[in-house]
Amino acid sequence: MQRKDSCLQTIILPVSRHSDWRESLKRQINECEPGLLELDCRDWSLSYKDFMNILTLLEKFHLKINLIRADIPETIVSASSLGLQASLNIKQPQCSTSSITEDIAKKKESEPLTFHQGTLRSGEHLEADGDILLFGDVNPGAKVSAGGDVLIWGRLLGIAHAGKRGDINSKIVALQLRPLQLRIANKVARGPQEKPEEGLAEEALLESGQIIIKPARINSLRTA
Amino acid sequence: METKTRIILICSGKGGVGKTTLTANLGISLARQGVRTAVLDADFGLRNLDLLLGLENRIVYTAQEVLEESCRLDQALVKHKQEPNLSLLPAGNPRMLDWLKPDDMQRIVSMLTDKFDYVLIDCPAGVEDGFKNAVSASKEAIVVTNPEVSAVRDADRVIGLLNTHGIKPIQLVLNRVRPRMMASQEMLSIEDVTDILALPLLGIVLEDEQVIVSTNRGEPLTLTGSKSPAARCYSNIAKRMQGEEIPLIDPSKEGSGIRDKFRRLMQTKIF
Ligand SMILES: Nc1ncnc2c1ncn2[C@@H]1O[C@H](COP(=O)(O)OP(=O)(O)OP(=O)(O)O)[C@@H](O)[C@H]1O
Ligand SMILES: [Mg+2]
Repeated sequence: MQRKDSCLQTIILPVSRHSDWRESLKRQINECEPGLLELDCRDWSLSYKDFMNILTLLEKFHLKINLIRADIPETIVSASSLGLQASLNIKQPQCSTSSITEDIAKKKESEPLTFHQGTLRSGEHLEADGDILLFGDVNPGAKVSAGGDVLIWGRLLGIAHAGKRGDINSKIVALQLRPLQLRIANKVARGPQEKPEEGLAEEALLESGQIIIKPARINSLRTA
Repeated sequence: METKTRIILICSGKGGVGKTTLTANLGISLARQGVRTAVLDADFGLRNLDLLLGLENRIVYTAQEVLEESCRLDQALVKHKQEPNLSLLPAGNPRMLDWLKPDDMQRIVSMLTDKFDYVLIDCPAGVEDGFKNAVSASKEAIVVTNPEVSAVRDADRVIGLLNTHGIKPIQLVLNRVRPRMMASQEMLSIEDVTDILALPLLGIVLEDEQVIVSTNRGEPLTLTGSKSPAARCYSNIAKRMQGEEIPLIDPSKEGSGIRDKFRRLMQTKIF
């Protein structure tokens, strides 16, 4: 399926504060030959709708996306939700443009984000030192534990442990948070009894030593 | 190497959910549809497929002698009298567990593929060696579960393992469905189960006392042409395996007792 093309074309979007990505994309597409394309979205936060528009545009020029690159997980998630191959850029601290990206970059450099595609079934355990981004469900009896945040693009029905080495600023985010048990750093909480509202992403974090659950902020999946 | 024989593992994780009963009944149903079917008892520790099929007293040789080459495969195969398209390859004695390796299992199954269209492997419960041996020889799987939290949990674990072994397709059979308990939400619903397991549902089998009666007689329900609820379910599943499109039984329209039937009659009259 994925033809390894020797002359892969790359489009790199401008850094978000400098100009509009749409203009730049159109300009760069005009210079492309029909075929495969790698698109680096830099620090643009693109929704799946943006990607749908991009795909229709590319189709007109007989271009197909081989790989999406981005600096922020949110864009990766949007791209992945459309079945596109996506990869997170791990930035060098010296080229970051703001203090926040610098922070993330530092964190990411030492402990990269771990991606996992597919549902974790009972008895399976996904573990990583950094953050974990999982596309799929964590079923009852399955467990995911991360040194940093646990971000689940699906349902959390099993056990999740964020900040397993004691990072009290870690959080757990899921599209549906119905865990058997939650752990953040060294705190443990049983999952809520009542089912959450459908379609409401939630996050669990530590507030004054207690694990609390609340609606997820839009940018939670951005690890900001 | 590539044959058209379908090698299907019937497994569950949790014990006692109805694997052997399903294997026996599907074996009979498929044979009745005219396809050459072998059922293989991979549960060496607690073999009882022979018992359910009523073939216990006709066993002379087992898979063990075939592997030791002290008999030929066709000497060990026990043909079912009423359904000659069905043969059983009996399990050897429980000590076989100590030395049996995935290779051995694969050898047995590849011998069967020349002679049969279907090989159904009755898998032991658990996820230990017996399970691993059986998986290594299989291509497809049917996961059997009950509408109970613990059975579903174990099924989920088994599905994860089947996935890592590249078994495809994996289909689901939900056994011992009690319509009334489901309706009153005392039991997990079909959706609850398929929601977690995320597998295509090959069929449901209703809870049915006749299953127990037939087990004790050594005559699978499907053999006797019974019209009982479970018998219908089993033969529907066999037909679906053969590609026929048969709608799922709607448990809310099923009830075992006369009282249920009467109640339904009442409802239709009133509304
Ligand atoms: N649909 C059904 N209705 C009523 N009883 C059933 C049904 N299916 C199975 N049973 C009963 O459940 C018991 C266990 O069935 P069976 O031996 O087929 O399970 P199994 O999964 O093969 O068990 P094991 O793991 O021990 O091999 C038997 O007594 C059987 O008669
Ligand atoms: Mg059994």
